[in-house]
Parts: sequence; C-alpha cells; structure tokens
Amino acid sequence: MIFDSRPKVNVCVAQTGESYPCATTESLLRGMLKLGRKGIPAGCVNGGCGVCKVRIVEGTVTSLGPVSRAHVSVDEECRGITLACRVAPATAVHLQVLGKLEKPFSTAPATVAGESATLPTRQQQGDM
Amino acid sequence: MGVMRIGHASLKVMDMAAAVKHYENVLGLKTTMVDKAGNAYLKCWDEWDKYSLILTPSDQAGLNHVAYKVEKEADLDTLQRSVEAWGVKTTMLPEGTLPSTGRMLKFNLPSGHEMRLYAMKEYVGTEVGTQNPDPWPDGLKGAGAHWLDHLLLMCEMNPPEGINTVADNTRFMIEALDFFLTEQVLVGPNGDIQAATWMSRTTTPHDIAFVGGPKSGLHHIAYFLDSWHDVLKAADVMAKNKVKIDVAPTRHGITRGETIYFFDPSGNRNETFAGLGYLAQRDRPVTTWSEDKLGSGIFYHTGELVASFTDVYT
Repeated sequence: MIFDSRPKVNVCVAQTGESYPCATTESLLRGMLKLGRKGIPAGCVNGGCGVCKVRIVEGTVTSLGPVSRAHVSVDEECRGITLACRVAPATAVHLQVLGKLEKPFSTAPATVAGESATLPTRQQQGDM
Repeated sequence: MGVMRIGHASLKVMDMAAAVKHYENVLGLKTTMVDKAGNAYLKCWDEWDKYSLILTPSDQAGLNHVAYKVEKEADLDTLQRSVEAWGVKTTMLPEGTLPSTGRMLKFNLPSGHEMRLYAMKEYVGTEVGTQNPDPWPDGLKGAGAHWLDHLLLMCEMNPPEGINTVADNTRFMIEALDFFLTEQVLVGPNGDIQAATWMSRTTTPHDIAFVGGPKSGLHHIAYFLDSWHDVLKAADVMAKNKVKIDVAPTRHGITRGETIYFFDPSGNRNETFAGLGYLAQRDRPVTTWSEDKLGSGIFYHTGELVASFTDVYT
C-alpha cells in the first residue's frame, strides 16, 4: 500500500486460509478488518469485551495491553488464546478465530477483497 | 423521600494509570482520593459529593456495583424493608466500608448486578461553589463533563427459557425502589416482551436503563454535557486522545439524547450526552418502541442498529 510503509508480516486465518498483511505495530484485529469481511466484531478494542478471541497456532506476538481474565482464562492463555485487539504480530502468524469471531469466517472468503488483503495466498510477505 | 439520583459507579479496570488518565483527560473528572488498596475516587466539576466514580484495579473490565443516593438516613431502613419484602436479600454495610461514605444497603438486582443505596457521602462542593458562582470553572480538561448521569445495564434475557431479567428488574425498580418507567422496547411476535426499559427517579428520561442480552454486564456509564456543540467537542477530545469511538455524534430516538459512545482503556463503554430530552414525570405516558423501529429508537438518524452496540459490553 502506497501510504503505509510500516513493516508488515503475513497473518493467516486457519479456518479459511485467508491471509492479510499486518503491521508489527498494529493489532491482529486492526489488520484483520482489512479483509473486508462483513461482521468482524471490532468491539472495545481494549481487551475488555472479549469479542475478538483468537488462538495463535504459529508465530509470535507482542502484547499491546492487558486482556480481560473474564474472557481469557489462565489455561486458555497457556494454550495461545488471546484477544486479537491486544496483540501485534512479531513474526508471520497463523491463527484460529474463536467464539464471536468464528461467525464472520464461517463462509468462503470474500471474492472481492482489498488490494492487499486477498484470497488465500502464501506469497504476501515479500512485498511488505 | 427515597432514592434521589445515581451516586457513583465502581468500575473494574485493567490498567489503573491508563484509566485515571482517561477519566481525567478525556472526560474531565478529577481524582479526589486514592485509598490504601489503590482504588481511585473521582468526581466531575459540577458534582458536590466527594466522588462519583471508583476505579478498582482488576484483571478484567466491568462493573463492581452502582450506587444511588437516598435523601434521608431513615430511607435506607424503609427501603431495606421494601427490598426484602419484594424477595431480594440485603446487607447493610457499615459506615466507612467505602471511604467518606455512610452505611450502604447492598443487594443484587434480579439481573445479578450489585446495587447499593446510601444517604451520606462527604460534601466537598462543586468547583464553582455556591456563592455567586461562575457558570463554569477555569482549567477544565477534556470534555469537562458535568456529572455522572445514568448507566445502562445489560440484563440476561432468554425468552424461550422464560428468562427476562429486564422485565424483572423493571418490576423490582418500580415496586421496591419506587422508580417510574419512561420508555420501553417491546419485541416478539405479539410485541409483549419487554426487551429494554428506561427508568427515572429524577425529572430526566433515565437514571438507569436495562437492555436484554445473552448475559448480564455493563453496557455504559454516561456523563452529562450542556449542548450539541459540547458533544462535538468531546468527540474532538477523543480523537485527540486516540480514544476508540464506538458511535460518532448522533441522536437517540429513545430519550432524545445527543450522544457519543466510546471506550475507556479497559474496554468499559462510556457515553457523553447532551439534551435533557423532556420533562420526565410519573404521569407522563410511557413511550414504547416496537421491534421494527428499534433501530430508529437507538440511532435516530440512520435508523440502523450497530452490531457492536448490542453485542459488545463488559
């Protein structure tokens, strides 16, 4: 993207195989919104409401702030579960969407996506 | 006699420093006290009691309790009897349970939310005083909110299972605490399921509101501003402070309020609103919103419900 020179990594959604570029300084949720999927729940974006639950299957993330214990238990945290609004990718990430975030990904990927958020692909890291 | 107004809300926050900064710099409250446990107490410039907001450090967001102030100490005993008679257990917390606050009658609403009533809180005065006061003080920060006005509680509702704690709460507030209903949303095939209510003890359209949801929680706490222009300026303040705005300035059909919704740094929703709406009175006919016009009731201009508005809460 011309107006966005931030370093980015590739984030892949396990359920659909879709991927999107995500800046290493932005939350996984913010990047995900660029997929243009209807109904991606961007709630409080501050770790309190729990609508953007994900499991990090592969890759590492950095914390952007606290995550509510009411929505992510200690046990879940140990299993890589967190809220997408509260972590940024440090490396390429493979994630699974959970809870309220599953529904918008329950259909096939959108046929028309944003210019840099596309259909399933494995070659996005190169140009970021 | 009885309940006068909302007295304070006690909120759980996950980052105290960020929360205090938010309520001070964005809403314009001031910290009046910090206790040994690290809880912060804040108030708006136009409020005269010591605090209207308690921030408590926690590993999650949400409401600890909401408190309403009653007029006389004896009201606490009268109301304890009526709450118990309604079938809700109560506890009388001794003076000093909360600093600068008298004894508190504690109980849970049918929706599970903890409510407290108290008659005494330390008087510290508004920032303009009582003697030939200026209309507003110098040095206000952010939105410069006047006062904590009301809150909206999400209440567990599951009609097929016969659970509707919106209706239960509404009946409790009327019968045990002598609130009156100003507006309601009726849904369902027969339009007879009370899915949301707005209730008052003052002369404003709501001192508390209940909306049905999958589980009980806090939808928002709301602060009063003077005018539509103040609402716009509050949005500027939010943009300046990189606050997540949930719903940009608009108007509610319900209560006629001019509003913005946004989130504190732990994800608790706040509202700044202007407009007294109308004179709420016990003999004013109740306003009813139907399921098909609910969108207009919530956001009058677009007439469309924002998904996050009903699905996202703490």
